[in-house]
Amino acid sequence: MRERVAIVGVGYTSFRPLSPEVSFREMVFEAACRAYADAGLEPDRVGTFVAVSEDYLEGTSIFDEYVPDQLGAVLKPVQTICQDGITAIASAYLQLATGLFEVALVEGHAKASNVLYPAHIEAFAMDPVFVRPLGLNPRFVAGLEMRSFLAQTGNTEEQVALVVAKNKANALKNPLAAYPALVTAEDVLASRPVATPVKELDIAPFADGAVVLILARESVARTLKSQPVYIRGIGWMQDTPNLDQRDWSQASYAELAGRMAYRQAGIRDPKEEICFAEVDDTFSYKELQHIEALGLARCGEAGVLLSEGYFLPDGPLPVNVSGGSLGNGYLYDASGLRSVLEVVLQLRGQAGERQLPDVRVGLAQSWRGIPTASGGVIILSNE
Amino acid sequence: MLVGKIDRVGRIRTLHGDMGVWHKYTFGLAGERFFRALAEKGVLLATRCETCRKTYLPPKIYCPTCFAELTVWVELPPRGYVETYTFLYEDLEENRLTEPVAVAFVTFPGVEGGIIHRLGEVRPEEVCSGLEVEAVLAAERSGGLQDILYFRPSRE
Repeated sequence: MRERVAIVGVGYTSFRPLSPEVSFREMVFEAACRAYADAGLEPDRVGTFVAVSEDYLEGTSIFDEYVPDQLGAVLKPVQTICQDGITAIASAYLQLATGLFEVALVEGHAKASNVLYPAHIEAFAMDPVFVRPLGLNPRFVAGLEMRSFLAQTGNTEEQVALVVAKNKANALKNPLAAYPALVTAEDVLASRPVATPVKELDIAPFADGAVVLILARESVARTLKSQPVYIRGIGWMQDTPNLDQRDWSQASYAELAGRMAYRQAGIRDPKEEICFAEVDDTFSYKELQHIEALGLARCGEAGVLLSEGYFLPDGPLPVNVSGGSLGNGYLYDASGLRSVLEVVLQLRGQAGERQLPDVRVGLAQSWRGIPTASGGVIILSNE
Repeated sequence: MLVGKIDRVGRIRTLHGDMGVWHKYTFGLAGERFFRALAEKGVLLATRCETCRKTYLPPKIYCPTCFAELTVWVELPPRGYVETYTFLYEDLEENRLTEPVAVAFVTFPGVEGGIIHRLGEVRPEEVCSGLEVEAVLAAERSGGLQDILYFRPSRE
């Protein structure tokens, strides 16, 4: 049997609307120092480094060349994944599984406050012939999708608004979060329309921050000081880039990535076997869509379960107890790593005031954001 | 490390820049034929996979389902339907628009895919999923998405 892989170190900055005094590389340095200290090892023990990012966001092209220094990775094997954070973890996981390396590091960050016109970058990702010439703010994609999702599943705008209220309230207990707040569903419904039915408060605001995770094969993990959190399954999936060929109501990428991860983890009934989940909520409706895609609720039932308190921190299946992206801020491709960070902290019993009791198996799911239909799923366990 | 309090954020040094990305993008065999037909004949074309019995819009020369090469071209019926829609209130610089833009995903019966475009000549309260629409074409057409001005409710 293949040797298991564990997350043995986590490092992070707090997540902030602005970080005027530090460069993105200095934020990564802070997160990396903390991850090394947490794992109790030095950079020279790390055999391979995986970063996740996207060109343009740091104000450079060929961004991946800027990765090594702030991680202690100069003249080491480094790769940058142009995908979401959990897909980067999958790459590190596979590299360890080959037996070629014992310890791997995964890094993700966002210096969103330096991106002056994020919509221009997203718009440039649209099909150059059939979509980009419209010159539209890409949030129209979320508007089209949310309307279709509600119509197809029977979930309601009011239930979607409850996602915002839940996650921002959850973030009040998360000292890292940038946007904790007490808001009501009515506040959300009354906020300005952006791309109907998506409203201003339905959208996770950008934040700055960095997350670094250190992974090791089990034989090494057992020798380290931190409590290992094992990767029991990981999946990643990419749908067609064509908006016009996509299913506008379902998150097929999450469903299939989930199935891939469940199969490895031997999970047959996720609703019963997963203790808690961190799912992508870049837009509030995405949380319900992802919950259903992952089989954590039946199609059309996520909104009702939410309104009954099922996904609250004291409910049967807490979702986004960290506050999600709506509460923490949207960190570009590091958002998936931030979700994994929460799962690790919960499984270690280090989640402070928001610690969930008796959790053994947690799930994190990520979406790469507009205009993609791509993402990953990871299942972690402290056993 | 910064030692001491920062009391004027504006004095923190940042570099402002822009990134010009001038480029070309080849329409390709399928795009060329689609936009030539649109410009010259004012019609929308799709390609068909006889194996999967699927018709693709926008047309492609390969079937995304079975990976076969597609050589059968068909002309679409003139009317489509709004599958989903949104009213967009922000431009690319996140400025508030005075009038929202109605954007729809328009599909055609028996066709996989569709076209994303603006809606025009329509009152906001008229817009709904299932609305029958037709493309309004530019009088002078050069072979590009701009040849379709918008979709409007179809007229009998």
